[in-house]
Amino acid sequence: MKVKISKSMIVFQCIAYVLLALGAVVCVAPFLIILSGSLTDDAIIIKEGYSILPRGFTLAAYETIFKVPGEILQAYKMTIFYTVVGTVLGLLMITLTAYVISRKEFKYRNQVSFLIYFTTLFGGGMIPWYLMYANVLNLKGSTFPIWFPGLMSPFLIILMRTFISESVPDAITESAKLDGAGHVTIFFRIILPVLGPGLATVGLFLALGYWNDWYRSSMFSVSQDTWELQFYLYNLLNASSSMKQMAQSANIAMTDIPTQSMKLAMAVVVTGPVLLFYPFVQRYFVSGITVGAVKG
Amino acid sequence: MKKKLLSLLLATAMTASLAGCGGGGKSAADAMDEAQESAASGQEGQADQTQQESQAKTEPAGEGNGEAKELDTSERVDLVVYQLGDAPADEAKVEEKINEILLEKLNVTVDFQFTTWVDWQQKYSLQLTTGGVDLVYTANWSEYGKLASSGAFLPLDDLLNTVSPEMRKTLGEDALNQCRVNGELYTIPCNYLEYTCNGILYREDLREKYDLPAPNTVENIEAYLTGIKENEPEQQLLDVSGQENMGQVFNFKYPWVTFTGIPYGLSINYDTPTEVEDYWFSDDFTDDMKTMKKWADMGFWSRSALSNTPQEEALENGLAVMYFSGYNPAKAVGVKAKLEETHPDWKVEYIAFGETNGVIFPANRQTNGTAISKDCKDPERAMKVIELLLMDEELNHLAMGGIEGEHYELDENGIYQNLSDKFPYGGFNTWNLYNKDYWLSTETSAELNEMFAKYEELGAKTKFPNTDIFGGFTEDTSAYATEYSAVQNVCDQYLKPLQIGTVDDVDAAVAQFREKLKEAGIEACREGFKEQWLAYCEQYGYK
Repeated sequence: MKVKISKSMIVFQCIAYVLLALGAVVCVAPFLIILSGSLTDDAIIIKEGYSILPRGFTLAAYETIFKVPGEILQAYKMTIFYTVVGTVLGLLMITLTAYVISRKEFKYRNQVSFLIYFTTLFGGGMIPWYLMYANVLNLKGSTFPIWFPGLMSPFLIILMRTFISESVPDAITESAKLDGAGHVTIFFRIILPVLGPGLATVGLFLALGYWNDWYRSSMFSVSQDTWELQFYLYNLLNASSSMKQMAQSANIAMTDIPTQSMKLAMAVVVTGPVLLFYPFVQRYFVSGITVGAVKG
Repeated sequence: MKKKLLSLLLATAMTASLAGCGGGGKSAADAMDEAQESAASGQEGQADQTQQESQAKTEPAGEGNGEAKELDTSERVDLVVYQLGDAPADEAKVEEKINEILLEKLNVTVDFQFTTWVDWQQKYSLQLTTGGVDLVYTANWSEYGKLASSGAFLPLDDLLNTVSPEMRKTLGEDALNQCRVNGELYTIPCNYLEYTCNGILYREDLREKYDLPAPNTVENIEAYLTGIKENEPEQQLLDVSGQENMGQVFNFKYPWVTFTGIPYGLSINYDTPTEVEDYWFSDDFTDDMKTMKKWADMGFWSRSALSNTPQEEALENGLAVMYFSGYNPAKAVGVKAKLEETHPDWKVEYIAFGETNGVIFPANRQTNGTAISKDCKDPERAMKVIELLLMDEELNHLAMGGIEGEHYELDENGIYQNLSDKFPYGGFNTWNLYNKDYWLSTETSAELNEMFAKYEELGAKTKFPNTDIFGGFTEDTSAYATEYSAVQNVCDQYLKPLQIGTVDDVDAAVAQFREKLKEAGIEACREGFKEQWLAYCEQYGYK
């Protein structure tokens, strides 16, 4: 049987498609410009500006980047390491914390929740933070201060707590308890299995946070071996502008300033993997946020 | 009870956050004071550091020309050298070579560490406040004066006498005196005079082609640009953006003490530094802004210049025929060298403002120096390391050029040729180790030295022969911080359009600009600046 499509429905769909298509174009166009710019001859970019389709097609920018691929690959390796370690450990710690403060039988849960929440309002500031890692723990230059500070965030803990109390009714844990289950069993065998979307959401937040971070490398890396990918990119782009500023007051020779097309090619190389990865977790991302948030 | 505890907690946390969160926006010196407090408890070695300091003081200061005293080298010391910018790829290799020599001579190793160019100001001052570095690159543009007066560096006079009297002689008292802050010496300048004067760079081949005057005055610039516009109407003349310091071009007209512009629209002439006059409220200023308006109307630059972002290498790509701000001799020579490859038929020439207005001087000696951090593990040997890196030919060449045969070679004319991307010329960014005696000449440095020789001759005729009197001055704006930022905002909003000539009525716009300046509190800034400047002139004897 054929469903009859009403006229208003067709109009609605036309408008919806047009609007969505426009939205998609707005999102995709900048990326296309980056992509085509990275494939364009540098002199043409300076003379004629950017375009959607590359003019004067050349792979020169990519050739320069991958001529010495060691640096980029090392940065890639480190970022993947930070992301994996940070996401796995972070997920575990956030979920455990969230579970504890979601238990009604935990006497001080309000106080503990408050303490966690409190850190979103007041923090020690950058200098004590830096001193702690660099001088007290003496860990400057190691990888620890790069992945450790990002493990937990109050926002994610609260998100996860809300998620746990929403999706696991008390009755279930209660009955498990009556059957003799301890907290470890309850957590791993009853709570964790139903946390799918929540884990995906928090995991994606964590992973994106790690992937996009550059600041911790900037503060704590001593050698280029521990640089995060984004920092590598940021530093490359920053070098030219700060050298330009200084060159005015000091006679500093400008060496190897990356060209426009090279900067764009770097951007493509760095964002590429995230773009490929994102569509697969995106559906969890959307559902996770709507389930976990707002109701807190 | 519970509430009490909580409020106590809240109070502590608030103070802590207030004390700590200053790092981002505040100046290095402010962050310094804050961090010193928080650092005091956590820092080991604070105690024996002060001990060392007092030791250094109580030791009889050797006679200026006496023999260097023997250093105690029984224990190995690892020093950290903090430099700006990025590390070269072959950092470790070159360090190893340097350390071989240093270990043998002093039982010392050095480890070069770098700020990278991301947030370098912040990290630089953070590193100084939290310790962990021994030798530090300093420059007047990295707030040397401010950091020195807030106690980030050790005073070096006595150390120089006891450890390196030779270096003292080589550098000369004049150079050292320029580096003094409140009478104390905190940094060892490099042994090289650099002319970082600014000027304009223009297409000489077009000037010859159409027989135009060389653009060495404000009038001649106009004639030159007009001439090109008439002959080649398609050619873009200037690439101007809102970030450009357009006022610089008037250095051709006034013998100002600094080419980057005297703060708060004051006018100080090089020959009479203690006479602080007014520029923004004078008729000269209105006339100059009218010139800019005229140029804009004549189409010397784009109508949308104010909102444009600057093009990189506009002249090199044929999008401009002249750069008229921010070009110093070294950059000019760099452009020339590049154009020889890409456009051999073009010719560019450079004219320093000083060639016209008679005020020319090498950069203040504070520009490139090495200081010893207050937390230095062994100040005496650190001083010796500075001396060796700067004054020992082999070490100096290693630090500047890397390993001979691997990173560079000298061709038959003794000219430096780079062999490897892994260690470019001056790979450690050690501008503070420039030494004219061991200079590794490059292909461009011959031309640069020619220019410098010309400037030196001109500079010798000035009232303070070859001395940058403004470069050693550091303004402390903390007493009038509010007015200071208000004035900066007014300049962004009202001065820029005037300078780029996008206003309709210059007189009205100038009047408005002045009105806003007064409202913002320009007087307070000027008073504060003047007081500090006159005290500085008094101190250094610039009269």
